[in-house]
Amino acid sequence: MAALEAAANRRELSVLTERLNMAKPVSVLRLPKGPDPNSRGFDPRSPRFVALCRTSISSSAASEADPEQLQREQQARSVLRENFLRCLVSMTNKKVQFHMHEKVKVEATFGASDIDVLNFQVSDLQTPIGVQKEALIRCQDVISVTFDV
Amino acid sequence: MAMRQTPLTCSGHTRPVVDLAFSGITPYGYFLISACKDGKPMLRQGDTGDWIGTFLGHKGAVWGATLNTDATKAATAAADFTAKVWDAVSGDEVLSLAHKHIVKTVSFTQDSNCLLTGGNDKLLRIYDLSNPEAAPQEIAGHTSAIKKALWCNNDKQILSAAEDKTIRLWNRSSMEEVKTLTFDTSVSSMEYVADGETLVITYGKTIAFYNALSLDLIKTVEAPAPINSASLHPEKDFFVAGGDDFKLYKFDYSTKEELESYKGHFGPVHCVRFSPDGELYASGSEDGTLRLWQTAVGKTYGLWKCVLPEDLGAENSEQLYTSTPEIKA
Repeated sequence: MAALEAAANRRELSVLTERLNMAKPVSVLRLPKGPDPNSRGFDPRSPRFVALCRTSISSSAASEADPEQLQREQQARSVLRENFLRCLVSMTNKKVQFHMHEKVKVEATFGASDIDVLNFQVSDLQTPIGVQKEALIRCQDVISVTFDV
Repeated sequence: MAMRQTPLTCSGHTRPVVDLAFSGITPYGYFLISACKDGKPMLRQGDTGDWIGTFLGHKGAVWGATLNTDATKAATAAADFTAKVWDAVSGDEVLSLAHKHIVKTVSFTQDSNCLLTGGNDKLLRIYDLSNPEAAPQEIAGHTSAIKKALWCNNDKQILSAAEDKTIRLWNRSSMEEVKTLTFDTSVSSMEYVADGETLVITYGKTIAFYNALSLDLIKTVEAPAPINSASLHPEKDFFVAGGDDFKLYKFDYSTKEELESYKGHFGPVHCVRFSPDGELYASGSEDGTLRLWQTAVGKTYGLWKCVLPEDLGAENSEQLYTSTPEIKA
């Protein structure tokens, strides 16, 4: 009974203190950091990323067993990656055709890709409803890109 | 001298925050994921609210989000008829699981090998993440959209809450219904506390506590306003609840007394959860923000700093804010 009364008194005092704004607000070191407008985050330099992140595509099972095979596989990956990047560079400012899902085929002038290859920046995108002067094409919607070298 | 609670506002979302979940405690601290109608779930450091990354890929509102215990994987449920599994360290999408309707809820088993999903097609689905190509196991029974589904009893059973005003307990092995709880109104939220096998359910202005194994009622508590979500402190001495009057309420679990109420959100509170160490709780609101609240107001923890009277006059290299300026989402 006494305990309940004491609790009620404490609560009343607390409510009154708050209402009269007598209570001092808790201090804060800083505000929580908000999103970076230029990136999706997941900083690759963070200790957690460095410790836990595997390469995006694991090496094949055969390579895990044989170091020579691993070397060859790694070399092949480097070649393929370099070719891909060179393709992106040579496409710059050229007219390209995107083959996309739902049988969509559109032409545009290729501008650039973002670092994660999530979006392609294009100009003069020819669409069935008109020409879009500037547009971003979502990469996961693209099946293939065709252009004259 | 009583201190006034300073909630920490996490901005970034542009639409209502409808779900949030904490990970377990990892060597890198603990983490928080938020589901938002803007389709871009975000990962934050749990004790500070600092943004870590945004999971990009969904094409519709994200209704449910969860992390596995060690925060290496995330799963999200969205209005684009998919549930997605993500690498929570790199932010990459790992799997996209197609459904026949809006997906509302996702839950990992403790070993992160299976994912439970539920949504508007009224089916519970269990995916084997080591064999994602295989068709999921399906459990039918609910007669309306499923709002929340979770694993319980060491992943041997499943609890699901739906718009048909029932909560059902299922055996995973037999895929059969073991018990059903029926309510007069749709349940607004469900939280499972493994330690002690307690289920926290909210409906109307009521917060109800059940034994998760037997579905026997332990107690109910009435709040001053309709409640959308509640969470029980890990040590089971308090619980917090939030709802349509925009406030957060803190109650004593044993005495059912309302201890505190806090204003801060500019819209209804949709979800509230205690952190795994119980030191803070996070709330998500219609106003598009998440707020972090201290359990023990005035304690030094995360970004909150206990300032003793002696410190106030001293030269201090740290910048101290005595009140948090409001940031518009």
